Amino acid sequence: MLEFLSYGFMQRAFLASLLIALVCSTIGVFAVLRGITFIGAGTAHAAFAGVCFAFLVGISPFFMAVTFGLSTVWVTSYVQEKGKMNPDVPIGVFYTFTMALAILFIGLMDGYRPEVFAYLFGSILSVSPSDLLVILILSVGILLTMLLFFKEFHFISFDQEMAEASGIPAKKLNFLLLNLISLAVVIALKAVGAILVFALLVIPAAAAQQWAKNMRSMMIYSALIGVGASWAGVLLSYWFDVPSGATIVLIASAIFLFSVLFSGKRRIAGRS
Amino acid sequence: MTTHPIIQFSQASFSYNGHIALEDLTLDLHEGEFVGVIGPNGSGKTTLLKALLGLIHPVSGALQIFDCACQALRCEHRARIGYLPQKEKIDPNYPITNEEVVMMGRYGALGLMKRPGKKDREIVADALDAVDMADRKDRPFAQLSGGEQQRVLIARALAQRPKILLLDEPTTGIDAPTQSRLVELIQKVHKDYHLTIVLVTHDINMISSIAETILLLKTKLYALGPPAEILTKQVLSPVYGEEVIVAKRNQQPYIIVHDEHHHA
Repeated sequence: MLEFLSYGFMQRAFLASLLIALVCSTIGVFAVLRGITFIGAGTAHAAFAGVCFAFLVGISPFFMAVTFGLSTVWVTSYVQEKGKMNPDVPIGVFYTFTMALAILFIGLMDGYRPEVFAYLFGSILSVSPSDLLVILILSVGILLTMLLFFKEFHFISFDQEMAEASGIPAKKLNFLLLNLISLAVVIALKAVGAILVFALLVIPAAAAQQWAKNMRSMMIYSALIGVGASWAGVLLSYWFDVPSGATIVLIASAIFLFSVLFSGKRRIAGRS
Repeated sequence: MTTHPIIQFSQASFSYNGHIALEDLTLDLHEGEFVGVIGPNGSGKTTLLKALLGLIHPVSGALQIFDCACQALRCEHRARIGYLPQKEKIDPNYPITNEEVVMMGRYGALGLMKRPGKKDREIVADALDAVDMADRKDRPFAQLSGGEQQRVLIARALAQRPKILLLDEPTTGIDAPTQSRLVELIQKVHKDYHLTIVLVTHDINMISSIAETILLLKTKLYALGPPAEILTKQVLSPVYGEEVIVAKRNQQPYIIVHDEHHHA
């Protein structure tokens, strides 16, 4: 029954999905509470454009994914500050701009390149040992940074102006948080795919919010839901030979729907 | 009243969203003073609070708080200024307990990367006690009534162990009986914690019964003095227009102004 665990690619898939789910679902809590999830969708598409560019010119796709992904945060933060606009506007512009670039780069390639489409739709069963190492290093880095600034991220998620007024460098920390969200999306890109990675950021946190009483419990529930859905997705994808990214997201969505319908919290909120 | 000024504006001008919102302000506020700030919409009330919070700096002139220029206000000084922001609608599903909200008042003084200790938890417990919310410390903040949320947010400000407390429209959007209980609470913490209070409000009648000093703004300092001197038709009419009615109710002046209520 457990013979699949003896395959190297399955071991890597389980480890990679554990790390990715842990990172995305916990940082997703801040993204959801702070209402900045859209940066995740923007990053995913920009990073995909980076991957396409890398394949076109023959350089490291991961390096370009990070560069393009983080540039979403830098460019949109700068434009937002300069133009004094709602962050959704520059992210929306950048999102479609980079997607247009991605389509252009694909058009410039010679023939059909299946590895490009792995980044679009995700393929967790094809994570290589070197991919896994990069995922491991970045995951640990993101989780440690989150742990160090946990109370500050909590404060700015709840009330940024108040945080700033009480002497916390809220603007800098907000920028750091955006960069971490962006990195989390980039490391999940190959496994889950550019189109679906947004789901891993938003769905576990949103489902967890339905049950949580405080920040800690929301973090724990979100991590459990994220990791649970990912592992279940990997297994189903192996057993039934279906796409892994889609399976993970469908399971997470089902958990979200269940949480909205059946959490006691929703009933209390509805009554008052 | 002690004579030491805790807040000093000297010919200070502030701009907000690109235009001058408060001009040439010269003003001393003393330790322990209770100041009510009134003025029509756009008169610079919010700008005054943002300046005191160190969120904006003077474009000319100077602002000194605790004898240091506001640009140079370090974290430990910032923590000495408690703030009750204007009430916002908060997501009823936001997962945070009342105790956690009040604990955020300690974060500024704690500094980055440090965790709250026993002493911080004691301060939080005291603050919750002071606003009469200790029995509801584990309840979700987002599901409290508006008045109860204000009490918890006052506790958060108190947990900073402040010397100055800034209140932005604390009674707006709250029903009348709850309003008067909130006003009593503000008076109580003013006395018990020896605070200097700056309270911004639309409600001239509420503030005239509790503040020692009224500051009337109209993009500059228009008038400053005890309520009895400010709340006259001669002073108010040029600011609020000729429709100002100064009536008497229970031996107290009662003011009716035409002032569009909106939440910026």
